[in-house]
Amino acid sequence: MFKNILFATTVSPDCDDAASYAFDMAMKYNAKLYIYHVFGLPSHGYSRFVINVKTGEKETYSKEYDTLVKEEIADTYSELIDQYSNCEIDCTIGAPGTEILRKIKKEKIDAVIMGAHHQVEDAEAIRYRNVTGDTMQRVAKSAPCPVLIISRPFTKNLWNLRNILCGTDFSKASLAAFRFALKFAKVNKSKLHLFHAVDITGRQFGKVPTQSEIEELVNQARNRMEEIYLPEMDGYMKIETAVWEGIPYVEILKYAREQDIDLIAMAHHTGSIFHKKDILGSTIEEVVLRSLCPVASINRMNVLENYEGFLA
Amino acid sequence: MAEGKLCNRKPINTEEELKELMADRGGRKYYEEMESLDVDQDALWSSIRKTFLSRLKTWIEICARCGMCADSCFFYLANDKDPTQVPSYKIQSTLGEIVRKKGKVDNEFMRMTMDTAWSKCTCCNRCAIYCPFGIDMGVMFSYVRGLCFSQGFVPWEMKIGSGMHRVYRAQMDVTTEDWVDTVEFEEEGIEDEYPGMKIPVDKENADILYTLNAREAKHYPEDISEAAILFNLAGENWTVPSEGWEETSLTMFAGDWEGCKMQVENVYDAMDRLKPKRMVVTECGHAYRATILEGPYWAGLKSGKTPIESIHYVEWVAEVLRSGKLKIDPSKKIKEPVTLQDSCNYIRNGGLREVTREIMSYLAEDFREMTPCKDHNFCCGGGGGLNGIGRYHKQRNAGLKVKRDQILATGAKFVIAPCHNCWDAIRDMEGIYKIGIKWSFLKPLLLDMAIIPDHFKPEEE
Repeated sequence: MFKNILFATTVSPDCDDAASYAFDMAMKYNAKLYIYHVFGLPSHGYSRFVINVKTGEKETYSKEYDTLVKEEIADTYSELIDQYSNCEIDCTIGAPGTEILRKIKKEKIDAVIMGAHHQVEDAEAIRYRNVTGDTMQRVAKSAPCPVLIISRPFTKNLWNLRNILCGTDFSKASLAAFRFALKFAKVNKSKLHLFHAVDITGRQFGKVPTQSEIEELVNQARNRMEEIYLPEMDGYMKIETAVWEGIPYVEILKYAREQDIDLIAMAHHTGSIFHKKDILGSTIEEVVLRSLCPVASINRMNVLENYEGFLA
Repeated sequence: MAEGKLCNRKPINTEEELKELMADRGGRKYYEEMESLDVDQDALWSSIRKTFLSRLKTWIEICARCGMCADSCFFYLANDKDPTQVPSYKIQSTLGEIVRKKGKVDNEFMRMTMDTAWSKCTCCNRCAIYCPFGIDMGVMFSYVRGLCFSQGFVPWEMKIGSGMHRVYRAQMDVTTEDWVDTVEFEEEGIEDEYPGMKIPVDKENADILYTLNAREAKHYPEDISEAAILFNLAGENWTVPSEGWEETSLTMFAGDWEGCKMQVENVYDAMDRLKPKRMVVTECGHAYRATILEGPYWAGLKSGKTPIESIHYVEWVAEVLRSGKLKIDPSKKIKEPVTLQDSCNYIRNGGLREVTREIMSYLAEDFREMTPCKDHNFCCGGGGGLNGIGRYHKQRNAGLKVKRDQILATGAKFVIAPCHNCWDAIRDMEGIYKIGIKWSFLKPLLLDMAIIPDHFKPEEE
C-alpha cells in the first residue's frame, strides 16, 4: 500500500519514537524507507558556512562532512537497520521544510513520518524562531501525501486500525483529510469517527456564551456535518459522528482516548504558511504534541489522486 | 612560475575544477598553496598600465592623507580608531605601493593586500562622501580586488563564488532545470492557497521581468512564492526567465571582471529574448549594483544603462503602495518601534533613500531612523562578500559593533533589512551580541498586511 516511505529526522532523541514507527510501517508494507536528514541551515547571503540544525554550530560544508553525518545516522539507527535493511540514508543542506518537500517529489514518497519537536528560541529571525516546528508546519501543509507525526511512544498494536478519527473544521483541506480517512477506513475495515469541536474559547472577546448559544452552535455544526459529509460517505456504514464543545484540541484528545482511537487524521489547515501568528498554537499542533496515537496530516486533494489506484 | 593546483592565477571554468576546490574543506590546502604562489610582476604591471587610468591615478596622487575619511569608516570606529584602518592608509599601503613599485611586489605583500581588500573594506563607498576631493576608496578597493584576482590572491570562498557564476551563471549550483522545477513546485503551493495564481515562466512582452538571488531558488523558495503572490495581488503582468534569472554577482566581490561580464550578459540576453517593459530585481543590494549600476559598463553598453528600464524591489513596492495596486490593511501596520537598514548598494550608490522612507510610511506606525541614516548610514558590516569569508570572520564580527550600536540607539527591536547580505549580517550580529532584536525582509511583512482581493480568496472563506 505504501511503497516509498520517508522518515525525516533530526537524528536527535526527539525522533526516536518516530524512527521505530517508520521502520515498523516500512516492514508492514514492505516499503522502501528513506531516512533523510537536513543538517545545515544556509544563510541568505553568500556563504560556504551552514548552521548545524542539531547543534547550532557553524560548519563548513564538504563531502567529508556529508559522509560523517551519514555515518552518524547509520550508527544512531543501527539496531533498526539490522532488522530491516530496505532503507537508504541521505542528507543535504538547506531549509529543512523545503528540502523534505523536494525529496518527497524526487522519490515519489507516499507517506512521511516525522517526529514532533519543539525546539524554540534559536537566535534567528522571526521565520526561524522555531526551526523544527516550522519544518513540521511547512511539510504537513504542502506535502502531496499524508504526513504522520509521532510525538510519543505508542504501546498498542499500531497496525490494527480499528478506530480512525477524522477531526474537521469544515474547510476544504478538512474535506481532503476526510476523504483520505474514509478510504483508509474502508481498506482497513475500521470504524471512522467524524468529529468536530465547537470552539467556545475566546468567542466575543471573553464573553462566556450561554448554554443555549452553545447548543445552537453545536446544532449548526451537526447540520453542516450532515450537509458536507453525508453525500461523501458512499454507503460506508461504519461511521460515527460527534460534535463536542470546548477547547478543540482538548476535546479531540478526550474523544480519542474515550473511543480508543488508533489514528487521528486532520488537515493542517492554518490559513497561510506566511501568517505565522495563525499557526503557532493551532489545533493540530497541540493534538500532535499530546496525542497517544499517530496523527496524520492531510491537506491536499491530490493526496487522494495518488491513492486512487490502490485505495479504490 | 610557481602556481598551486588549487590556488593559481587561472579562473575556474569547469564543474570538475569547481568541485575539486570545494572539496578542500575551509580552503586549508588552498591557503597553504597561496603562501608559495609567485607574483607575475610583469603581468601585474602590464595590467596596471592598461587599466589604471586618469581617475584612479589622480585619486592616488592627490590623496593628501588628511584623515578626513577616518571616521567615515566603520572598521576604523569598530577597531578603537586603529590608524591602520584609516581608508587612505589602507589604499596607499596597498594599491599606492604596487603602483609606486611598478608592480615589483612579492607574495607576502600580495597576501597582505588581499587581506586588506577583503577584510578591511566592504566597498561600501561611504568614505567617498567625506573626502574633500571625493576620492572613493571603495571603488579603488574594487580595482585592487581585480588585481588580486588576476594574480590568484583571492579568498577561497570568493574563488568558488566566481567559479559558480562561470559554470552555472548563478552563485550556486542551480541549473536551468532545477530553477524551472522549483518555480513549478512553488506555483503548486501558492495555487492551493490562492486559487488561480501563477508564476509565468518566459512570458514574452510582460510588464515586469523579475530576477532574483540564487539563494532564493536553492534554499529559500518561499521567497519566490512571496514575490509571486505580491505581484499577483497587485495585478501585475509579470514573468521570470528560465535563463538569466540570477541577479547577483560574486564575480564582482571576487574582482573577476571577465566573470562579471559573462554573468550580466546572461541577464541582458533574457531581456532581449523576452522583451519585457521593465525588470525588477529582488530584495538584494549587490545584485542591484552589479546588474543595474555597474553591469552595463561590464557589458560595454555605451548608454551606461541596462537594455530595458530596471528597478529595485523597493521601488516597485513604493510604486504599488502609492498607486493603491497593493493595499495595506491599516489595522495590520507595524505598531512596535521599527528601524530600517539602508543597503549601501542601492541607497548610497543607487539613490533610493526616499522610496524606502515612503514604504515605511505605509507600513510602520513608529518608524525610527538610525543615526546616521540614508546615504550616510553605515554598512551592515558584512558587505562586499565579507559575510561569506571564513578567514575574516573575526574582523567581520568586530565590525558589526557599529551597526549594533546604531540599532540599539533607535530603541527599536525590529529591523527591516531588504537586502540578503544585510539580513545575514544582522542575524549574525544577534547571534554574537544577543541584543534581542528581530529582523525581516519586506515581502513577508507585506504579505501579512496586504488586503487580499476577493477573487484570490479560497472558496471556503
